Amino acid sequence: MGKKNGNVRMSLQTLKVLELFLENPTEQLSGAELYQRCGIASGTLYPILMRLESAGWFVSQWESIDPSTAGRPRRRLYRLTMTGLKRASEVFASFNRGVLA
Amino acid sequence: MSRRDAWRMTHWLIHRAARSAPEALSARLEEEWLADLAARSGALSRLRFAIGCCWATRIIAYEHEPSRVPAISSVVADKTLVPYTDQNHGFLSLRSSTFCLVVSLHALLLYGFITALSHTRSAVTPDPLQSQVLKNPTPHELPMPLPTPHLKGMTIEVPKLENDITYEPDPDSSVTTEIVKEPSQPSPPQPASPHVMKQVQGGPGAGFPNPDDYYPQRSRFLDEQGIATVKVCVDAKGRLTSEPTTVQTAGSARLDEAALRLARAGSGHYRATTEDGQPVESCYPLRIRFQLKN
Repeated sequence: MGKKNGNVRMSLQTLKVLELFLENPTEQLSGAELYQRCGIASGTLYPILMRLESAGWFVSQWESIDPSTAGRPRRRLYRLTMTGLKRASEVFASFNRGVLA
Repeated sequence: MSRRDAWRMTHWLIHRAARSAPEALSARLEEEWLADLAARSGALSRLRFAIGCCWATRIIAYEHEPSRVPAISSVVADKTLVPYTDQNHGFLSLRSSTFCLVVSLHALLLYGFITALSHTRSAVTPDPLQSQVLKNPTPHELPMPLPTPHLKGMTIEVPKLENDITYEPDPDSSVTTEIVKEPSQPSPPQPASPHVMKQVQGGPGAGFPNPDDYYPQRSRFLDEQGIATVKVCVDAKGRLTSEPTTVQTAGSARLDEAALRLARAGSGHYRATTEDGQPVESCYPLRIRFQLKN
C-alpha cells in the first residue's frame, strides 16, 4: 500500500497511470476509463490506484450522478492531487535527467 | 454457459473478492468494481475483470496491513528506480495461490466455452437422416467384377492344308492343275475354344475335265507356260454357283482364258468343301498349272 510518507513503489504500470494523469492533471478518471486508455488489467490497476491514493498522490470520490437517471451505477473517480502532481513530475523529470535509466 | 450464468458468476467473483479486502475498503471496492464491471462489454471481458479483482483484492489486503514494510525504496525518496521485487516469501506464497486460482478459473472458463460450443453445434447442425432399405443386398456387388471375355460360340477355323493337290486324270497329260488355298494370314493367338470346326476345302472331283484338252494350241506353239488361279464358288453338290473369275494371271491371256473355260467345264464335278464332314457351299481358289512336258 502507498505510504503516508509519500513513498510509492514504481513500476511500469504505475508510470503509465501517472503519465496519463499528467496529460490532464485536473481530469477525473474511473477505473473503467483507465483500463480503456492504458490497457492495464484490473488485477494490477486497482492496487496501483489504492497505493497512489494511500500515498496521497490521488484522491477519489464517487461520481455525482443519479444512477436511476444515468441508467448505470456511479463510478469511483480518481484525480491527481497537488502532492501527486509534484511527485509525479519529479519522477518523470528524473527520467529526463537519466538518473533512473 | 448462458449469458445470465456468466453475469452471475462475475458478480459472485466480485462479491467474494470484495469480502476478502480490508473491511474499511470492502463496501467501496465492491461498489466501484461493480460499476466498472458494468462498463465492460462481453462476457469474457467481464469475467477477466472479475478474476483480476480477485487478484487485486489479495494485493490490496497484503499492502493494507500496517506491519508491512516496503520491499523497494521509493523512487522519490532516493531518486532511483529499481525493478519491483518482493522479498517477502509470504507474499510469494500468496501470489502463487492466487495464480493457481486464476489458472483454475481460466480452465473453468475454457471448459464452459467448449461445452457451450458443443451444445450449440449439436443444436444447429441436426442433419436429417434418410434411411434406405436395400432389398436383397448382394454382397458381391462391390467391387464390380471385371468383365470377362465372351468366349462362347467362337470358333477357330483351322483349314486343312491341302495345297498343291495335283490333279492328274491322265498320266500322259501334259497339263496339270493344282488347287491351292489362298495364302492365309497368320491369325492372332486366340483363347481356347470349346469347339473347333473341322473344315476341308473342296477342289476338283471325280469326272473333272482333263486340263490338257484346254491347253491352247497357240500357247503350245509359243511355249507359253504358267499357273493361273481362278476363284470358283461351288455348292454342296459340286456345281458352280457363279462365274469363275481370274484371281492371279498365268502371264498369258490365252492361258487365263483356258483356265476359266476349264473351271466352267468342271461344274458338277467339283468336290464340295466339307465342314465337320458335311458338304457346304463355298468359294475357293483353283490353281491351274499349264506346263508343257518334253
